[in-house]
Amino acid sequence: MTKTELLVGPFNRVEGDLEVRLEIADGAVQAAYANSPLFRGFEIMLQGRDPRDALTLTPRICGICSISQSAAAAAALADAAGVKPTEQGALAAAVLHGVENLADHTTHFALFFMPDFARAAYEGRGWHAEVRERFLATKGSSARALVEARARLMHITGTLGGKWPHTLAIQPAGVTKAPDARDRVRIMSAVRGFRRFLDSDFFGAPVEEFAALKAPSDLAAWNTGSAGLFLRIAEDLNLDAVGQGPRRYLSYGAYPLASGRTTKAGIWRDGEVRPLDPAAIAEHLSSVWMLGEKAHPFDGMTLPDEDMDPSSYSWCKAPRLSGESAEVGALARGVVDGVPLLAALAEEGGVRARIVGRLHEIARTQLWLEEWAQALDPEARFMGDFELPSRGDGTGLVEAARGSLGHWVRIEGGRIANYQIIAPTTWNFSPRDENSQPGPLEAALAGAPVEDGATEPIMVQHIVRSFDPCMVCTVH
Amino acid sequence: MSQIETFYDVMRKQGITRRSFMKYCSLTASALGLGPAFVPKIAHAMETKQRTPVIWVNGLECTCCSESFIRGAHPLAKDVVLSMISLDYSHVLMAAAGHAAEAAFEEAIAEHKGNYILAVEGNPPLNEDGMFCINAGKPFVEQLRHAAEGAKAVIAWGACASYGCVQAAKPNPTQATPIHKVITDKPIIRIPGCPPIAEVMTGVITYMLTFDRLPELDRQGRPAMFYGQRIHDKCYRRPHFDAGQFVEQWDDEYARKGYCLYKVGCKGPTTYNACSTVRWNEGTSFPIQSGHGCIGCSEDGFWDQGSFYNRVTDITQFGVEANADQVGMAAAGVVGGGVAIHAAVSALKSAQKKTQTQVSENEEA
Repeated sequence: MTKTELLVGPFNRVEGDLEVRLEIADGAVQAAYANSPLFRGFEIMLQGRDPRDALTLTPRICGICSISQSAAAAAALADAAGVKPTEQGALAAAVLHGVENLADHTTHFALFFMPDFARAAYEGRGWHAEVRERFLATKGSSARALVEARARLMHITGTLGGKWPHTLAIQPAGVTKAPDARDRVRIMSAVRGFRRFLDSDFFGAPVEEFAALKAPSDLAAWNTGSAGLFLRIAEDLNLDAVGQGPRRYLSYGAYPLASGRTTKAGIWRDGEVRPLDPAAIAEHLSSVWMLGEKAHPFDGMTLPDEDMDPSSYSWCKAPRLSGESAEVGALARGVVDGVPLLAALAEEGGVRARIVGRLHEIARTQLWLEEWAQALDPEARFMGDFELPSRGDGTGLVEAARGSLGHWVRIEGGRIANYQIIAPTTWNFSPRDENSQPGPLEAALAGAPVEDGATEPIMVQHIVRSFDPCMVCTVH
Repeated sequence: MSQIETFYDVMRKQGITRRSFMKYCSLTASALGLGPAFVPKIAHAMETKQRTPVIWVNGLECTCCSESFIRGAHPLAKDVVLSMISLDYSHVLMAAAGHAAEAAFEEAIAEHKGNYILAVEGNPPLNEDGMFCINAGKPFVEQLRHAAEGAKAVIAWGACASYGCVQAAKPNPTQATPIHKVITDKPIIRIPGCPPIAEVMTGVITYMLTFDRLPELDRQGRPAMFYGQRIHDKCYRRPHFDAGQFVEQWDDEYARKGYCLYKVGCKGPTTYNACSTVRWNEGTSFPIQSGHGCIGCSEDGFWDQGSFYNRVTDITQFGVEANADQVGMAAAGVVGGGVAIHAAVSALKSAQKKTQTQVSENEEA
């Protein structure tokens, strides 16, 4: 048995930079080490600033999911101030956030994930020609249709948020923009416009039908649209059997409305959902180029190790819940929420399950958006009063497209004393912790097949992208 | 590649029709503030001139510039420009990965040496020998220097490449550095903003590709056609500013009435950008229209000018007439519509005088 090492990266069509070191033997990955090589130091910059400036600063962590960052910052400040957004303010924020998540999911699928199946390595497969026609990078017909449909959907972030990316409208007590009756009609028509794309091209059937799928066996019967194409590929390449993560799923619960969160919060392990205790979260630093000890985010510090200790290998901290790694994302949200199709895929937990989780959430989000846009009431108040305390703590937990996102702020003397952020990919692509437990991606890569002499094992590419990583958020 | 390849050839190969091509030329002309007479000129240039390659690299950034570019712009303009640049190298969008991507990068640099435009998104961190941003095992700053060597001009996308932006906010933990401190021997055109407006990005790049020269720049190296006026100058809430009608609190009665956001921190009066005219997401809106003040994201060091929710106190910025004059002259030179522009500038000057007295009255009140 010969053991070799392979350094894979940089990965393109991944937001930000990523490098993975693989130990390979017997034609398969034995161990993987994920390195996030981009560090900017947001948590350091936030210290000493006016707490409100977090609303402007933190979205700049990421140009793809800036609304998620903005929603988390607003939630953390609201928590510190002890206020809640007005009912309609929360609804408008949910519309903004839902639009971004929908755009993110569909973009990931069409521009980042599917083009890999157009590679020459798959020539001769029954579906190869169709994938090339639909998804070849920057040229595919479906990819183009999506880019256009998405730009129109983004008119909603224009109307409600002024601009996208880096929308500013979400505040602790609501949103700055009170849509009038005309705005509401515009929003509804943009949402309907996106449905036309989903129904005709993406699912090839009404979104309700995909949202209604109950069991993994139903997936084999789904033949239409881009979704059907993926499901055929998944069956042919056995994508259900590769890339299995830790099979512990975390969700903070998506879209907080006045009536409660739209999906449930919790942690799924060993077949059941348990309540989530955010106090049990700690970030480990034993494999990270950071100084200090493992800590809960309220006590966490960000002190880059300028010597880059060779026993560490990433800038990404390793968040753990009660000492365990957890996978986050659309699949995790669906599993924790008890969606039958996804709960049934929880044990499978591989590449196919993650993509189906996202496809299913695309369908659900479209339906939510239609309902929320309808419920916007131009007469109501979209912003309440709030005053930040000169001293206090706040936690903001939201669900970004890629999974659970948390902001923890400590205010002293009217200024930010400490600010810590755990992004979705921080969970998913975390390095090993103090017990040498690998992060979810590292676990998912173990066992992946590697062709003889390959410098870019193709299954590794599929597994990495199945998480929809956002590396700029990961380390921030 | 034995014969010269024109932009038009490239577009045809990408399946763009003649009709769309002509529509694109007229969209571009209007985005650049050029009259209908320029449409055939643009078309002619694109049909006959050799295509200028573009290589797009990413440093410390958040990809918001790419995102703005591919999501916001008019689908046709975006499609055309994308088809022109994606042929060469773009980390975010291209098909190749890993080693193949590195090879594509080197190949593009070698093949088009001395002839390509380098578009830079993000900036290099210099602390710890550049170790905070590593690409293919090497610090990004090395890739940047290497790519700049053979470039004929450099575009600095966004506030990151232009000024350092958020990662350079105090205390700038990674020593993120704007690219002009690293590339000192090439013309650099700055397109600041966080991110820049998509139409501004496509407009500038098309101008450069079509006319094979830099557009007229202001003293900060920004294209005068888009950065010649303050947000405030063309803001639709400006009449409320002039009338002393301000939003005092979020969603108060005055916010509903669309009063001026100056008192809740709007930086429109000190920010040069095209948001209030071009607007965002295909002309839908811009931050002030959504009830949030401008944060001044196209200005140098905007992260460290006090809170975004405090009012602008640097009133000297109002009515700096020499500046407005220079900008007006530059704009006139570019667009050839001198009379109209100059008239507009004069109108602005008188508005500014009025403004200045108004503000001081408000301050005293």
